[in-house]
Amino acid sequence: MNDEGLRLLVLLTVLFFVGITCFIIYFIVLYRSKQLKNKREQEQQQYAFQQELLRAQIEMQEQTLLHVSREIHDNVTQVLSFVKLSLALAVNSSEDQKKAKIAESRELVSQAINDLRDLSKSLSFEHITRLGLLKTIDIEAARINKSGLIQTILSTEGDVYPLGAQRELVLFRIYQEALNNALKHSGAKHFKISLQYHPELFNLTLEDDGNGFSARSLDGSGGSGLKNMENRATLIGAVAAIDSAPGKGCCIKVTLNPLEQRLYTDGYHPDRLG
Amino acid sequence: MNPLSTLECVTLLIAAGICLLRYQRLTFPFKILAWAVITSFILKLLANFFAIKYKNNAPILQIDCITEFIFFSVIYYYLFKNKLIKKAIAVSIIIIVAAFFINAAFFQPFNKVFPTYIYIPSQILFAVFSLLLFKEMLMYPVKINIVKQSVFWYNTGVLFYSTTMFFFLGLSNYLAEHNLDDDFIFNFWYIISDVFHILICIAILTENKKISVTDE
Repeated sequence: MNDEGLRLLVLLTVLFFVGITCFIIYFIVLYRSKQLKNKREQEQQQYAFQQELLRAQIEMQEQTLLHVSREIHDNVTQVLSFVKLSLALAVNSSEDQKKAKIAESRELVSQAINDLRDLSKSLSFEHITRLGLLKTIDIEAARINKSGLIQTILSTEGDVYPLGAQRELVLFRIYQEALNNALKHSGAKHFKISLQYHPELFNLTLEDDGNGFSARSLDGSGGSGLKNMENRATLIGAVAAIDSAPGKGCCIKVTLNPLEQRLYTDGYHPDRLG
Repeated sequence: MNPLSTLECVTLLIAAGICLLRYQRLTFPFKILAWAVITSFILKLLANFFAIKYKNNAPILQIDCITEFIFFSVIYYYLFKNKLIKKAIAVSIIIIVAAFFINAAFFQPFNKVFPTYIYIPSQILFAVFSLLLFKEMLMYPVKINIVKQSVFWYNTGVLFYSTTMFFFLGLSNYLAEHNLDDDFIFNFWYIISDVFHILICIAILTENKKISVTDE
């Protein structure tokens, strides 16, 4: 081989291998930067999720405190005031009347104690974690029924399984929001709650027979609660479908695949199943 | 036997040994790679035997060419996530296999010459597959460090081997046209082959189905 040919051969070979090496190094650098970008995005998603969860928790606490304050004002205080009045009147009564009033007062105090016990249960924000979504909704539904504000009907289907504390908290918050809407705006008489537990699908259906609404009638503030429900559902990997028409009530259906993992979930995430 | 050819056999033997030792820990595409390496080793031995005994190892090289293409294409089929690329790989396997039989029957006889008409397009396809896989890896990066990813080493190996082969074929044509000595090319080809086997060894050693990024 002559010198010129050899030189050309060496040059071409060197150029080729330098080219390939540069390509591989460039790929590694690019891949690393993509990995870091993905990691940052995942952290941001996780942060947003935690923020939203915190917001849902605060809202739930506010709602619970509001309910407790109403219950104390409308129920317990009334009962205790009546007991106070009854006992005050008993001072000048005959022995038999005194006995009757004391017995009546005892019953009322006992009722007040029961009401306070129920309230103390709803004051504990950890009860979803302890009792689970179904039991918590059951207690809430019983309480609402007792108040007489609206008639709630709870039904379940399939074998109940846990959905993870954070998911259940968000689902309960959606339930609270829907119930609140039914109580405040719809003038509904009945509120149906249906929980369907299928192996690969969970459904929470919340239905009222109130005034309903059209999508157009929702302005920014009216629609924000519903939008919030949709966003929160998305956050836990669920889909919220809201169906309503004027005079036909409102139906909110939250569908969730219990086996699906979200991007933000990691080995320590409470939503992790299996 | 050329010492570089012996070295190539040794690296291939080591790669086959590692494949057998780690076979249970490999994911499906890498199990296919293990079979590809073992088959390649057996064919290499047969090729050397035929070369010494019959002075003609063309049939073995023809079989080696087509089995290598099928094995490596099937591995790519399982490594890709994109369904369109998967379909394209499946179609390319059918076309190349059909072309192989036509070529062996009419253009480059099975028992006489090495099937360059099949070898060149298959190397081009490997280069394209590896570049596409690099692109897909960038689209779906995983948390595992790139140097601990068997797919990266496998793909680097294939890209390196296929582009080098293509480069060398072009270069050997140039040398032949200018009546220049092409021993350099053959010796270098063995070294490239050794590097390829080492990269395959790294891929097999880094592969672990418990932490694998590949889909089974």
